[in-house]
Amino acid sequence: MMLIAGTVPVKGLPLTMGKVRAKGEFLIVDGHRIPCTQGTGAMISAALVTTEYLKLEPPQVLVAGDTGQGSGSREIYEYLIQKVAGLSPEVLALHYCLPDMALTRRLCESVKKCSKRLVMIADAASMYAAKAAGLAAEFDIFTPDATEMAFLADPEATHPAYIARHLFDTDIAQTPKLIAAAYEHKDAAKLLLVKGATDYVVRGGEILATIAEPDVPALEAIGGTGDTITGLVSAFAYAGLEPHEAAIIAARSNRVAGEYARATPATRVWRIVEQFPVVFKEHLCQWSGVCYIEGGQQ
Amino acid sequence: MAFLKRRKQSFEGGGLVLFMDVHDAMRGERVLKKADYAVRLVAPPPELRKGCDLAVEINLVEQPGIERLLREKDAPYVSVVPLKVGTSELLEIVKVTDFGDWIMVMAANMKLAFDKESGIIVNTSGGGCPDIPYLHAEMIGKKLTEAPRPKDVGFTLCALMLDRALEESLNLWRGGSQP
Repeated sequence: MMLIAGTVPVKGLPLTMGKVRAKGEFLIVDGHRIPCTQGTGAMISAALVTTEYLKLEPPQVLVAGDTGQGSGSREIYEYLIQKVAGLSPEVLALHYCLPDMALTRRLCESVKKCSKRLVMIADAASMYAAKAAGLAAEFDIFTPDATEMAFLADPEATHPAYIARHLFDTDIAQTPKLIAAAYEHKDAAKLLLVKGATDYVVRGGEILATIAEPDVPALEAIGGTGDTITGLVSAFAYAGLEPHEAAIIAARSNRVAGEYARATPATRVWRIVEQFPVVFKEHLCQWSGVCYIEGGQQ
Repeated sequence: MAFLKRRKQSFEGGGLVLFMDVHDAMRGERVLKKADYAVRLVAPPPELRKGCDLAVEINLVEQPGIERLLREKDAPYVSVVPLKVGTSELLEIVKVTDFGDWIMVMAANMKLAFDKESGIIVNTSGGGCPDIPYLHAEMIGKKLTEAPRPKDVGFTLCALMLDRALEESLNLWRGGSQP
């Protein structure tokens, strides 16, 4: 099972868990409608499109309404702390939430009770909490953007709003220095996919790959395009690819989808998501060796 | 006979509200607890002490919502600071990217893009706190001058940074020069 957990901006939505399906621009979980917009919705949408294409079981999602006051976030943490060992997902992807260091610590303890090793992925504030609590190294994959990379590189910061100015000012060409600092302080996951003008895939401090083409600068302005990368990497990891392979293909797919959608800063993220099947059809076989033909697997 | 020990609720906040005197600190704690914030009274480390020797530990990410509530309830406090000594000040600087018809302003981890001609917000991106997708939905399609202020309706540091991006966007829209 791939389990995606995160808050959604739907007031009053109770803690809800179930398989997800798409309906137009919305996602449906246990009868509840979630918009495919910036945040957990965009991430789930990208993961769902990918599992559908690969003919895998759709993601299980654990969501709760939260517009910033944290109650939905705490419900998600508590549910996972109690249930994750029993659920034992192959992939656990944590996303938007009110970051809570103590609850993240308890969750990591619960994960250790799972019967089999799972792939732990964190993005957004789940990543902030893991780093702030000193638990980054327990995660398999983080997907920071350039500013969040500076946050991981600043050992004192507990949120990107408090990073040192010289790190925020750092030119994108200096990303390798930030990566090295994050690993030195043990504030990075085992694998990083750093999203930016150039994407970096890093394992244990070693830069394995950089992806800079196609260059679609507008993607940075579109809310949710970082979330879609995290959804893609989660789904590809669930499909059995090694984390670094999943990261490289996720970064390429997002860029090509942006190009196909002719993205501008005014583009909505679901316009990017709807390009993924086309991107996969044209490129996935060549990129990954995972090839499908009509009527069966190649 | 087995004894059941109630598990003490763990809390790691990362931020402190500093007060001038003990009475203010106890009042601040009551106000925040009543609003369901996870907080606790602590002694601030000497290097952070500004007033009395009692402070309220908070989840630093909730700083904007907490400061707003204390102001609304007339609960006096000195300042909010990160608990980790050596943490930098809140980021004040912004970066601006010109996309031709659109401008994107970035403040820390938050970005806001608007149409140069109409002043309409076309996107917000970045962040990771739960109020950000909500603000995304509330702000897109609205004019910079008419959009809700994230610092007024959001609760987290991500919202505060989005407000900084909005403020700079308003400045540019009104003819100010780029930073």
